This record gives sequence, C-alpha cells and structure tokens, in this order.
Amino acid sequence: MKTFLFIIIVLISGAFAGFVHGTVNFAIVEPYLDQAIGIENQNLFATGEEEDTPEFWVEYEGYRTWQKGGQILAGVILGVSVGSLFGIVFALSRNSLPGSNDVKKSLVLAGIMWLTLYFIPFLKYPANPPTVGDTETVVLRAILYLTFIAISGFGAVGFYQLSKKLQNNKKLLALLGYGVFISAVFLAMPENPDEITAPMNLVNEFRIMSVLGVTSFWISVGIILGLLWNRLLTKQETPQSYS
Amino acid sequence: MSETRQINVSKTSVPKLALLALGIIFAAGLFVVGFDQGHIFSLVYGEQAFTDLYIHELTHDMRHAAGFPCH
Ligand SMILES: [Zn+2]
Repeated sequence: MKTFLFIIIVLISGAFAGFVHGTVNFAIVEPYLDQAIGIENQNLFATGEEEDTPEFWVEYEGYRTWQKGGQILAGVILGVSVGSLFGIVFALSRNSLPGSNDVKKSLVLAGIMWLTLYFIPFLKYPANPPTVGDTETVVLRAILYLTFIAISGFGAVGFYQLSKKLQNNKKLLALLGYGVFISAVFLAMPENPDEITAPMNLVNEFRIMSVLGVTSFWISVGIILGLLWNRLLTKQETPQSYS
Repeated sequence: MSETRQINVSKTSVPKLALLALGIIFAAGLFVVGFDQGHIFSLVYGEQAFTDLYIHELTHDMRHAAGFPCH
C-alpha cells in the first residue's frame, strides 16, 4: 500500500465528511443554539451581569457570526480528526469486514463506530445546548464523556478480538458480551452532575438535531472513504497480486 | 496458490508510519475541538490565551453540536 496516498485519502474523506457535518449543523442546529443563547442573554440581563444596550447586541452579533462561521471550520477539523481514527480502523479491519465492496465495508464500519463511539455514549451523556451546564464542572464532564467513549471503543475492539477466536456459531457471544459489558459500564459511570433549567423541549429538539448532524458525518465518511479506497487503493492492489 | 496469497497479504499490510501520523492527527484534532480552553494558543500568547479563548469560541458551536461538554 502506498503510505502517502493512504494518508491523503483518509484526510480528504475526513475533511469532506466534516464539511458536511458542519453544513448540516449550520442549517439545523444553529437555530437551537441561537434560542439557547437567547435564554442565556436574558439571564445575564436579569442578574445584572450585562445591560440590554445596543452595544451589547453589536458585540453579540459579531461574536455569533464568528462562531457560526467557526461551525464549518470546526467541522472540518473534527472531521479530519475523527476521520483519521476511522481510516486507521478501516485499514486494520478491512479484510474481515462484511460487504462485497469497499463502500459497503466502510459503511458497516462507520455504523459500528457511530454506535459504539457516538450513540451509546450519547445515551449516557447526551449533548446539551448552551445555557445548560455549570462552568465549574466542564472538565469533569469532558473527562466522563471521553472516558466512556474510550471504554466503549476499546471494549468493542476487545470483544471483536475475542470473536475471532470463537467458532462460527459462537461468534454472536462476543456481541452479547459487549452488550453486557457496556450496560454494566453505563450503569456504573456517574451521571452528568448538572441540572437542566432550560425548557426541556428545547433541550430535546437540540439533541435530536445534534444526533442528525453527527450521523450525517458518519454516513459521509463511510461513503467517501469507501469510494476513494475503491478507486485509488484497491485497483492498484489487484493487478499486482495477479502478476 | 500459497505464494499468491502471501503476496496479497503483504500488499494489504498497513504502513505503521501512516497509522502513527493519523493517530497524532486524531488526537490533535480532538483536542482542538473537544477540549481546548486556551491551551494551544497559550504556547504562543501565554496566559492571555486562557482569557481570549479564541479556539474555544471558534469551535464553540460544533463543540455543543457534536456532544462535547462546553460550558
Ligand atoms: Zn458553550
């Protein structure tokens, strides 16, 4: 395999998928962010921390424009990052993934990683809009969230290794094992310590949009990496193996 | 036959260097979007970076939307 080409393909697919993620968020998540920050502003006025003046709104608009543009750029950065992990795992597991071609294989892997690295951790520690969350606990919350993701990810890899050692008809046991393991972790990990004071329908709708955004990333990265791999890496391999 | 298979395996083996490079990119990118509270710019701008929080503000919306704790 050509090292340079492999890296480029992985980075490009991550960047594109991240761009899709940022754009989807820009369209469907931003309205909820604006609403949530609106509540924060009202709280600032109510407590006297800020004054409801034209100057405040000028500064606020500038700051929000910067953040909204940042959504897309941050999507690309996050996409390249998570896409790199995806590329590593795909390269290592491609031969044993089910599916008749690279696109199907990489979509299967994207689905597995979406479930184990995103959706299961999300059920325990769901995304929150601004105005939910105590600044004092942000480091604790970040550690809890990332720890859960890491445990789930390494757990999935561990049970996958185990499944390779089991006979065909016992392979499902490994899947069951992961299910039991992650349920135990789910119950054992501490809850998010912050209480939610924002309207619950705003929080829930924000969370649904957040899931749709992240899901758009995983679908995109699966399709794009699979397509590029198939075009640029598989074709090269085949003639060589016949020679 | 067995020879062909051997060639196949060696051709699909993944370059270690590439995995290392991608691993570093993964960790760095995740830190920028999911964690940074001024740490990265503080390497250049010192303590002021922890007050300005440029990267935090830039990645703020994505941080919330992607499910990372933010504030
Ligand atoms: Zn925030």
